Amino acid sequence: MFYAQLAVNGLVQGLVVGLGALALTLVFGIARFPNAATGDTMTFGAYTALTVHKASGSLALGSIAAVGGAAVLALVAYLTVFKRLAGRSVVSLLVASIGIGFMIRAGLGVAFGHQQQVFNVPLSRPIRIAGLAINPLDLQLATVAVVALAAVFAILYLTPIGRQMRAVADNRDLARVSGIRPERVMTAMWLIAGGVSAVGGMMLGIKTIVSPEVGWEMLLPIFAATILGGIGSPVGAVVAGLVLGVAQEVSTPFVGFTYKIALSFVVLLAVLLVRPRGLFGRIEGVR
Amino acid sequence: MDAYLAAIAIIALIYMLLSLGLTLQYGLTGLINFGHVGFFAIGAYTSALLSLQGLPLALTIPAAAVTAGLAAWPIGLISLRLRDDYFAIVTLGFSETVRLVITSEKWLTNGVQGIPGIPRLFETISVGIGAQLAVMGLILAVTLAAIYAMRRIVASPFGRVIEAIRDNEEALQALGKDPAGFKIQVLILGSALAGIAGAFYAHYITYIVPDQFIPLVTFYVWMAIIIGGVGRVSGAIVGTGLLMLFLEGSRFLRDIVPGVSEVEMASLRIGVVGLLLVLFTIYRPQGLMGDFTKR
Repeated sequence: MFYAQLAVNGLVQGLVVGLGALALTLVFGIARFPNAATGDTMTFGAYTALTVHKASGSLALGSIAAVGGAAVLALVAYLTVFKRLAGRSVVSLLVASIGIGFMIRAGLGVAFGHQQQVFNVPLSRPIRIAGLAINPLDLQLATVAVVALAAVFAILYLTPIGRQMRAVADNRDLARVSGIRPERVMTAMWLIAGGVSAVGGMMLGIKTIVSPEVGWEMLLPIFAATILGGIGSPVGAVVAGLVLGVAQEVSTPFVGFTYKIALSFVVLLAVLLVRPRGLFGRIEGVR
Repeated sequence: MDAYLAAIAIIALIYMLLSLGLTLQYGLTGLINFGHVGFFAIGAYTSALLSLQGLPLALTIPAAAVTAGLAAWPIGLISLRLRDDYFAIVTLGFSETVRLVITSEKWLTNGVQGIPGIPRLFETISVGIGAQLAVMGLILAVTLAAIYAMRRIVASPFGRVIEAIRDNEEALQALGKDPAGFKIQVLILGSALAGIAGAFYAHYITYIVPDQFIPLVTFYVWMAIIIGGVGRVSGAIVGTGLLMLFLEGSRFLRDIVPGVSEVEMASLRIGVVGLLLVLFTIYRPQGLMGDFTKR
């Protein structure tokens, strides 16, 4: 029962990781580099949601602002930096993404200071379902995450632009000769990646605290989930995020509070060495 | 003032050792090590803990190099099987894991409280400019030796092989060379340099806490070699000089421009590092000392 309770607690954490990993895997699959600014985009989302929530008192407004703001931020990063680096080595893009992450973090640090902030959400009594205590807030957050995920998957699998995105992820050159405009696909992809990160960041902020470093500190679990799920696999990213979130919580009694983060590193190594294409990845010639 | 300049020089030399290690790994061999600070931390803690057990620094500093080098060995074995970008993520994860371990294993490292009272170098000389200069002289000698060794490596067959690994690994394999062993050697060597840097750092500052070993340090070093010019020993030297100018200059800027608090300055510093990484990657990937004729 105790572990079941931990697992339930881990689910929300897992959704946060899963959302971040989804953003990362979209960029990885389509733009072909690991975007180290993903974590800081999440932080940006958390701060935007926090500010709007403080001003208006509405979490719904906050989340809309966060999604919009972070989507625009990601698109600006693409247009000003990543687009110019297209065709360069992965290292260039990776270093540039770290630079962008630093700039976002610096901007947030100057604007909001370094003291930890919290979302002022009303406390509520947990609901008991089958002996498990479930926080109504967690349920709301999970609903938001599921709605966001449903929206992303609907775009990816039900719309023409989603089909084009998947085509580019699959084979860029083939997509190009089939008349798919890479520009539009990239724009859509960065908007979605930014928005998804923002939802993850906002949830993280509500569940824990908001500080300029929160997103960066999530980077390792997010990378681990992306690779566990298989690079470029949106479903895999979310599933792996949930697995990792639950595993972190369930492992806490054994390994302690600090080492649960190291679990991501172990998972990352194990997957890369044993099954580099992850759970849902395609077989690629490289790893 | 003299003491201040000596202090800056010592820190600059420590960063120089880190830059040289990274130049060897990334600049020459093309291994994207995002976990440099992890080896720096291992060196610092190894030498600090051993010296507090009463061992002479002449033993503990080499021990720091050996431990940091040994820690790089498994990472090297893994690197052989991974693509560049995955290796970057793994090393970044490694340095964060190192930091978690030193934060958590209180029995060994005293956790977040850190280790105070680490013996200084040249403890027989009383604190003051004389001791500072002696420390500076020693680190300078080690740095010069490292620079000399690096120049020899670049000119040697070993240097040609590792540069070939960076430029075209497949072609090198086709010529019958095995990149694996070279990569591991390079990682171990570069990390041992970082370990020595860590040991000097610990004995100079005399107080270490896990928070001194955050990934930002790694990216300071990255910034130095990217600005200076990747793959050039001269680039590492110039880049580290500019890095120090930036780190110390930003401190003075705060005295001149009023109303900027220390935390804001810390944020601005991170922001400038980020901006420089982006600008140099886009506009001048070969750095200041790099080949001016190609882009």
